[in-house]
Amino acid sequence: MNHRIIARLDIKGPNLVKGIHLEGLRVLGKPEKFARYYYEMGADELYFQDVVASLYNRNSLHDIISKTAKEIFIPLTVGGGLRTIDDIKMVLRAGADKVSLNTAAIKNPELVRDASHRFGSSTIVVAIEAIKQDDHTYLAYTDNGREYTGIEVVKWAKQVEELGAGEICLTSVDNEGTGIGYDYELIRMVATSVSIPVIAHGGAGSPKDIKRVISESKVDAVAVASILHYGLLSCLNDENFNTEEGNIEFLKNGNQFTKITPTTIDEIKNYLYDNKITCRYKK
Amino acid sequence: MAQQLEVKYGLPSEVKFCKKCVMSNQRPASSIEFKHTISSKKVTIHFDEYGICDACRQTEEKEKINWEKREEKLFKLLDKYRRNDGYYDCLVPGSGGKDSGYQAHILKYKYGMHPLTCTWPPILYTDYGYKNFKNWLDVGGFDNITFNQNGKVMRLLTKLSIENLLHPFQTFILGQKNLAPKIALKYGIPLIFYGENEAEYGNPIADNSTSLRDKSFYSMININEIYLGGVSIKELQEKYKISLADLLAFLPADYKELEKSNIEVHYLGYYLKWTPQESYYYSVANTGFKARPFRTQGTYSKYNSIDDKIDDLHYYTTFIKFGIGRATYDASQEIRNKHLTREEGQALVKRFDGEFPDKYFNEIMEYLDINPDKFFELCDQFRSPHLWAKVNNKWKLRHTVNNDGVDD
Amino acid sequence: MINVAIIDYKMGNLFSVFHACENVGLNPKISSDPKILKESDAAILPGVGAFGEAMETLEKLDLIKPIKEYIDTGKSFMGICLGFQLLFSESEEFGLHKGLGIFEGMVKKFSITSINGGNVKIPQIGWNQIYNYGNSWELSPLVGIDEGEYMYFVHSYYVEPVDDKIKMTKTIYECFEYCSSINKGNVFATQFHPEKSAKEGLKIYKNWARQINNRG
Repeated sequence: MNHRIIARLDIKGPNLVKGIHLEGLRVLGKPEKFARYYYEMGADELYFQDVVASLYNRNSLHDIISKTAKEIFIPLTVGGGLRTIDDIKMVLRAGADKVSLNTAAIKNPELVRDASHRFGSSTIVVAIEAIKQDDHTYLAYTDNGREYTGIEVVKWAKQVEELGAGEICLTSVDNEGTGIGYDYELIRMVATSVSIPVIAHGGAGSPKDIKRVISESKVDAVAVASILHYGLLSCLNDENFNTEEGNIEFLKNGNQFTKITPTTIDEIKNYLYDNKITCRYKK
Repeated sequence: MAQQLEVKYGLPSEVKFCKKCVMSNQRPASSIEFKHTISSKKVTIHFDEYGICDACRQTEEKEKINWEKREEKLFKLLDKYRRNDGYYDCLVPGSGGKDSGYQAHILKYKYGMHPLTCTWPPILYTDYGYKNFKNWLDVGGFDNITFNQNGKVMRLLTKLSIENLLHPFQTFILGQKNLAPKIALKYGIPLIFYGENEAEYGNPIADNSTSLRDKSFYSMININEIYLGGVSIKELQEKYKISLADLLAFLPADYKELEKSNIEVHYLGYYLKWTPQESYYYSVANTGFKARPFRTQGTYSKYNSIDDKIDDLHYYTTFIKFGIGRATYDASQEIRNKHLTREEGQALVKRFDGEFPDKYFNEIMEYLDINPDKFFELCDQFRSPHLWAKVNNKWKLRHTVNNDGVDD
Repeated sequence: MINVAIIDYKMGNLFSVFHACENVGLNPKISSDPKILKESDAAILPGVGAFGEAMETLEKLDLIKPIKEYIDTGKSFMGICLGFQLLFSESEEFGLHKGLGIFEGMVKKFSITSINGGNVKIPQIGWNQIYNYGNSWELSPLVGIDEGEYMYFVHSYYVEPVDDKIKMTKTIYECFEYCSSINKGNVFATQFHPEKSAKEGLKIYKNWARQINNRG
């Protein structure tokens, strides 16, 4: 199979943001712009996450979904604050191809079954945000890595598959945004316990990490954010600013990177190709 | 309201909310902790005639600051004190949180100073908080002096603080403020760096005009003026049988010694533009800081002040006494930094402010030997009638920033 | 102005198909009205979901006869994913269901055993390559597409057309080879989603649009 490289964009209002451990809302620019670049540069899919939808109980991505759907012809998954069948319908109508559920799915697992039935399994992605506990087990969290549920991750993953979800997007909150690499053990545990595709998310610091998580942890796809965003940022010009809202200090000052090697989709796929990992790439 | 409601602590009788952030006018300015008694009248944050609080005004002023010039001043200051003979040239008090992580690291690695860090440890460490502290030293790379308090006395004083002032953090704040000058004196370090200036958060703007801290905050002139946990030193000695030697750790450095020394206290926030959220990113990248693995109770954030289990309870008591919970503090600061809109701040306050911090509550009560019921009784005693009303046997705020209080 | 009817039978997201049509200069309309279908210059049967349910819905909406009649007129018709599968005789998804029967062939579920010991993920979700069966692509919307080009797939079932001459592309998933598109006369159908296959997928729409023009 061809392993997918999915560009993930965390969005708050009009801004593309990037946190660490799913915390912090540092603004990096306009999501439409970044989305367009990733499409042009060969991303296999796009994933938009509204990071504050659950926090504020609001859904606000419809505009950017519509804009994106009109010009970008690769699959688009949208998540964040989707609570009901109607929420899902609205988002699909706006132009999304798949939806991602987390908080609502854990609170009401039957929603997954219902949605899979209504919209088709392959339309429903369940996102699992995993945090490692002191006793080395992994539990699922909701509300963008904030609320404790006590639910063990592998158990939930299997249940999710049974409920009819088409894919699982697994986020390691502990590694997310740090660039220290994926949590290979966690991801392998989940990927080998279900027979639906699993997307690994959280921690990539370089193409090496991506190669490793595919070959060792047996995932089907990766969703990457930091290494792409910081990579693209160095190429974009100043009109990227949105001065009305958000933490734009980073954009104003520029910064040094430590563990994150900013990179491009092409570099990632080239590296995978050279290391015999199959992906959509023509040398 | 027809009837006159009692107003405790000398707080403003009319409750108002800042038009820009979500802070209320009931917020006390930093007081001189060792003179704090139950009858102390609070100086509260000032609102101007447009209904905007001092902290927001202060932030507006910050926009006009020429940071390049300020950094030049910093260079001059540091050049004056920098030592290349192997000895420490500055002292950074902190706990390894996001702020001290940033401060210590940037002074050492960007500005070439040789800091010693010093720590007044939390009353009850969280394990991720302790990890952050260790990483600060092990990943960031700093020498550190930690003053481990006499736990017996600390426990008693914390208990008294709660019983007399409903202020669990009083003893912590004392140590935090008083330790650095004492360490500086002992090690002969003439320069201490704190982070933000308190005026950032609403203390009188006049404090900001120089960057030196008002010496009255940390110098001690007459021991008979001192109160700890709301109890005078005399009573602590006579009634509680605590010797002066046991209390000295909580008290400020000797005024005369300070006068003789040439120690200066500066705020890094005066010289460098301070964005708390960016400190978070910086510390994660450079000093091994990690956010709390779950949302802090009473607010939405995961990285502010997470190393002391009593911290959560502290914010609960501010909610009881002033109607201001942790979400209000966090949201107000982020609104000022333009990370949030006021509407978002309101929504966060509505959702999280005043959430009871049950995660560590029982453990704390056991540690302090306080009956949990007694704690709730105390809470009720400390609620000011002009802020709280009982509706269907439940306490509700009379006024909220969302205009959904009992009297709104 | 070429009017394209996108047949809406409540299965799956039609907006990508809509936008792709617009992008290549067609005038698309999403509808379940047989009249609109009849009057259009070209038609698309898209879809994602279960075969049996789809046929039931088409029946309920009284679309089966209109679709067959439409295809008989010789006007351009494109089937995508489930729309591709429905053109065939029968499917074994959730029991045996009859399809539209435009072409002879069975729709079967992937039952691939893995060679290297890992899980074989069903459905196939992702990009895969299309290769020539030996039949020319010249007269189909695949003209000018590279051999081995990547297209986007989402499916658990595949089609086994009886007539080898209509098979356009083959694709290999986990070492299993199957037919991923067909073309005969006015009917072109793909297992993959050209509207989700980036610029090369859009090329297919462009070609299809041009061929509508040529036709009439």
